[in-house]
Amino acid sequence: MRIKIQEVGKGLHPSEVVVQVNAAEKPERLIVDRRSIEDDAIDVGYPIAKSNGYWLIELPRETIDGAWRIWITRDIIVGDILEGAA
Amino acid sequence: MILTDREIVIALGRGLIIIDPRPKETYFASTSVDLTLDPIVTKFKAATPGLEIVIDPSHIDFSSETTLAELTETVTISSDGILIPPKTLFLAWTKEYVELITETRVAARVEGKSSLARLGLGVHVTAPTIHAGFKGRIRLEIVNHGTLPIRLRAGMRICQLIFEVTLGTPERGYGGQFQGQSAPPAPRKKQP
Repeated sequence: MRIKIQEVGKGLHPSEVVVQVNAAEKPERLIVDRRSIEDDAIDVGYPIAKSNGYWLIELPRETIDGAWRIWITRDIIVGDILEGAA
Repeated sequence: MILTDREIVIALGRGLIIIDPRPKETYFASTSVDLTLDPIVTKFKAATPGLEIVIDPSHIDFSSETTLAELTETVTISSDGILIPPKTLFLAWTKEYVELITETRVAARVEGKSSLARLGLGVHVTAPTIHAGFKGRIRLEIVNHGTLPIRLRAGMRICQLIFEVTLGTPERGYGGQFQGQSAPPAPRKKQP
């Protein structure tokens, strides 16, 4: 599953980009490799859980605030939602 | 379980693990593969005498990247290499792009090489885990714990990756999730 991101800055290495994910509670920033961004979205695998219209996902890297898992809303999910047996 | 050299090569061949450029045959050991140092490193600027700067990672407006950008400068390692003075932290990267496919059960640890460790060189500061789904160059926190400067050159073998297979498939790599699972409560407030 892919989620929308916004590039908000350069990383310390030319291959890195600081991106922002608009998580449900607050925007989260993380560093990703430029190669992992496609059409302003990144892959996050399958969602971990679903509750009240929110999906819990695990980001490919730890955020600047130290989080791996965040709740997101449908509007930042690109395309179909991989829900497995949900 | 730790992957052996044979299993790492199989995983590379099947695209379960991507290392670009692919390591030379001589860079493999029985249970690891060596990665090399990228020419770009980041070093901390010299402190101004009398000026005290304190980092507060718990501050509400703290951003590690902004802080690091302000405190460091990017250097390209020349053909003469770069000297790492004793008791000094540098941030560096592997030359190789590494990708662990999310749906696989492979995770990895980046570790130092004993040949460099004996000189006092550490390549990470207690953060060696590479999770499934990782994509990118591996960022290294290089510290010279020794007593003499150590010269590092771009392209030298700087660290090793040890691949491990997890006991099960992580939730984010598993299509049948949520079965028998009670989901945690939703966030209390929604972003405007």
